[in-house]
Amino acid sequence: MYWKYVIKRILYACGGFIIIMFIFSALFNTIMEKTLYDQINETVEMEILNRSSSGLSQEALDVYKAKRYDYFIKRYHLNEPVMQRIFWRAVDTITFNFGKSTLMQSPQGDREVIKIVGSKIPNTLILFTTVVVIDTLLGIALGIKKAQKPNKKLDQSTSVITMIVYGIPGWWMAMICIMFFVYLIPIFPSGGIHSVPPPTGGFAYFLDMLYHLALPVLVLVAIGFWGRAYLIRNLVLTTLQEDFIMSARARGLSENKVLYGHTMRTAAPPIVTMALMSLLASFGGSLIFEGIFSWPGMGNLYWVAIQQNDVPVLMGLLAVTTTLSLSGLVILDLIYGFLDPRIKVGGKA
Amino acid sequence: MKLNNIKRSMLSFWNEFRQTRFGIFGLITFCLFVVIILFETAIIPFPEASTRWRDISYWEDNPKGAAPVWVNWFTSTKHTPQKVITDVELKREEDSGFEFIDVVIPYDYQYDIAPNDIIFHAMTRGEVTLMISLLRPDGDEILLTEKSVNSTTLRDLRIPISTNSLDNVYNYVKQHESFENIKAKPKNVMNSMQVLFAKAEEGMLQNPASLQGEYQLKITAVILGEGEFLEPNLVISGNVFGLLGTDSFKRDIWSGVIAGTKWAMLIGLMTSSLAVIIGVIFGVSSAYFGGLVDMLMMRFYEIAASIPMLPVLIVLSAIFKPSIWTIILIMCVFSWVGPVRTVRSIGLQIKAETYVEAARALNASHSRIIFRHMIPQLIPYAFASMALSVPGAIVTESTISLLGLGDPTIVTWGQILRDAVSGGAVLQGLWWWVVPPGLFIAGMGMTFAFIGFAMDTILNPKLKTR
Repeated sequence: MYWKYVIKRILYACGGFIIIMFIFSALFNTIMEKTLYDQINETVEMEILNRSSSGLSQEALDVYKAKRYDYFIKRYHLNEPVMQRIFWRAVDTITFNFGKSTLMQSPQGDREVIKIVGSKIPNTLILFTTVVVIDTLLGIALGIKKAQKPNKKLDQSTSVITMIVYGIPGWWMAMICIMFFVYLIPIFPSGGIHSVPPPTGGFAYFLDMLYHLALPVLVLVAIGFWGRAYLIRNLVLTTLQEDFIMSARARGLSENKVLYGHTMRTAAPPIVTMALMSLLASFGGSLIFEGIFSWPGMGNLYWVAIQQNDVPVLMGLLAVTTTLSLSGLVILDLIYGFLDPRIKVGGKA
Repeated sequence: MKLNNIKRSMLSFWNEFRQTRFGIFGLITFCLFVVIILFETAIIPFPEASTRWRDISYWEDNPKGAAPVWVNWFTSTKHTPQKVITDVELKREEDSGFEFIDVVIPYDYQYDIAPNDIIFHAMTRGEVTLMISLLRPDGDEILLTEKSVNSTTLRDLRIPISTNSLDNVYNYVKQHESFENIKAKPKNVMNSMQVLFAKAEEGMLQNPASLQGEYQLKITAVILGEGEFLEPNLVISGNVFGLLGTDSFKRDIWSGVIAGTKWAMLIGLMTSSLAVIIGVIFGVSSAYFGGLVDMLMMRFYEIAASIPMLPVLIVLSAIFKPSIWTIILIMCVFSWVGPVRTVRSIGLQIKAETYVEAARALNASHSRIIFRHMIPQLIPYAFASMALSVPGAIVTESTISLLGLGDPTIVTWGQILRDAVSGGAVLQGLWWWVVPPGLFIAGMGMTFAFIGFAMDTILNPKLKTR
C-alpha cells in the first residue's frame, strides 16, 4: 500500500516536472534561441580561427564555416517550426543539458552551466540547514512555553513580536546588521564564506567558515524563529485540546509526559514538514540575502547572473531550483505519508 | 445567504475584532498609511518626487548624501541645514538705458560646519551682468563672482557660488593665512564655503573656526537695454537636509519614501486580493464539483504550487523588463495557490450542509450555489488570508526592485534600497538612506500582520484558550 503511494507520488511529480519545463521553454524560447545563435557563432568563429593557420584557402574556409553552422543549426533543431523548437528546448532542459555559460565560470574554471550551479549548492545548504536547525530548535522551545500558558504575558508579548517582524525583509535586516556589526563595530567579516586567502589546516578552515557563517545565521534566526514559535504554539495548542490528551491527563500522567510524550509526538510531523519546507523555500526564496552577504550560494549566483545578463546560467539555475523544490516536495510527502498513515490513503479529505 | 445575513455576520465579526487590541492597533496604522497616501503632496517638500524621481535637474540644488536635520540634536558641532531664502529686498534704478538692480539677501549663520554650497537663482531675459559679493559679520566684503548672461527668453539662471568664486576666495585667504598653510593646500582642493564662513585669522584654510553672525549676500544686476530680472532667491545647500536627509543623487529620501507608500499599498492590496479571490473560487469549485473535476483541479494546483515563485519571477523580470502592472499580474499567477487547500477543506464541509443539498434540490445552478451559498461563508477567511499575504507581496516586489528589475517609471521602497546598495550606502554608513525604506516596508507588513493575525485568532477559536 505504501509502495503504491510512493510510485503514484513520484509519477505525478515527474509529470509535473515535465509540464513545468515545457512552460518554461515556451516562455523563454525567444531569449534562449538568441543566446544559442550567439553561442553557435562563437564556436564556429573559434573553429575557423584555429584552422586559418593551417593554410586552407579562404573559399575552403567559407565552405567549412557554412557546413559547421548548418551542423549546429540541425544539432539544436533551430531550423524546425516553433512548436518543435520549444519541444527540443524542453528536452534539453529536462535532460539538464544547459550548455555553456556566456561569461561566468565555476571555481574550477568550467563554463558548463550545470557545473557552475552544482558548485554553489553545498554552500547554500550549509547556510540554510544551520539556520533551519537553530530556528526549529528555538521555535520548539519558545512555542511550547507559549502553548503552556496561552494568552498570558509571555505568549502575548512574543506573539506581538512575531507580528512586528512578519513583514521585515531578511535582506534589509542583513544590510542594517552589516552596517552596524561590520563597519561601525567591526566584530564580524563583511561577507563571503572564507577569509581571503582561506586559512590552511582543517580546523582553522572550519573555524573561519563558522566565523563567516555567524552573522548571516544570527540575522536569519533573529527574524525567523518568532514565526516558527507562533506556528508551533498553534500546533501544540490544538493538539492539547484533543481527547487523548485529556485521557492521558485523566490517567494521571505527569505534565511533562503529556507534553513531550503525547503532544509533541503528534505535533512532530507538521513541525518536520515546516522545517523542511522552509529549507526548500530558501533555495529560491532567499536570493537577495546571499547576495548581501556575498555568500557564494545559489541566491548569489542569481544576482551575479542577472548583473552579467548570463541567460544560460539563469535558465540552468531556474531548472535546478525547480527540480530541487519539486523533489523536496515529493520526499516531504513520502516522509509524511510514512509518519501519518491517514495521508497515503488519500482520496477524499 | 441574503445580503442582510452577510451584513449581520460581518457585524458580529467586527464586534469580535474590536476586542483584539493588536487588531485595532493594526487598523490605526493602516489608517495612518491611508492618510499619508491621501495627503502625499502636502507632506512632502518635493511634490513631484513621484514623477521626477530620476530627473537629476529636479534635485540639483540639494546636498549630496546629507544626514537628516535632527542629527544636530545629538551632536555638539552644528551642521548647517538646507534653507531657501525667497524673501529678498529689491531696489531698481534706471539710468540711461541701463537698469540697475540691487539685491540684498540676509542670512543668519549660527552653525559650526559651513554649508555645502550657496546657489543663487533668478529668472532673467536679455543681456544681464551680475556681480555677487558677500558681506561678513566682521565687516569684510568679498567679491565672489561676476557673470554675464544673455538669453532671448525668460529662463532660470543658476549660479553655484562655491565653484564660481574659487579665485576670489583664494585671494582673500592669502591676506590672512600663513604662507606654509597656503602652500600646503592649493586652490583646487580648497573648500571655498568653509573659508567664507570662517574667522579671518591664521589657519582659516587648514582648520577653519566658524564665524557666526549675520551675513549678507549682495547682488548687483545690470540689464543692458531690453531685459528682465525677476524672482531672485538663494538656496543655502546645507550638510543636513529635511526629515530623512538626501541620497548620493541629491534626492530627498523623505519625499521618496512617502511617494513610495501608495505603490506599496497598491502592490500589496491588489496582488493579495486578486490572488485570494482566484484561490477561493478555485478551491470552492474543486470542493463543490468533486470527482474527476476535483482530481484534475488538484493536479493543476499541485503543479502550480510546486513552481518556486521568486526565481521564476526574477528570471521573467530580467528577460522581459515588465511594468509594475505586469509584475502584479505575475505575482497573482503564482500566489493564488496560497489559500486553495484550506478553502477546499472548508468547502467540503459546507458542501455537506443540508442547505446546500436543499438548494440543489430546488434546482439552483452551480454558480448560484457556489457564489450565493458557499463563498459567503468563506469571506472572513478570505479577508484574513488577504491581509496576511499583503506583506509577502510587498517584500517580493522590493526584492525584484533590489535586483534592479523593477519598473523604472515609478519609485518604490525597494528601488530606493536598490540605489542605496549600488550607491555604497552600507559601506559609507549612510544609514538614513538604508533604514527608512526598510522601516516602512516593515511597518506596512506589521500593519497587515496585526490585522490578519487578529482575524485569524477569531476564525480559529481553538487557539484562544486551552
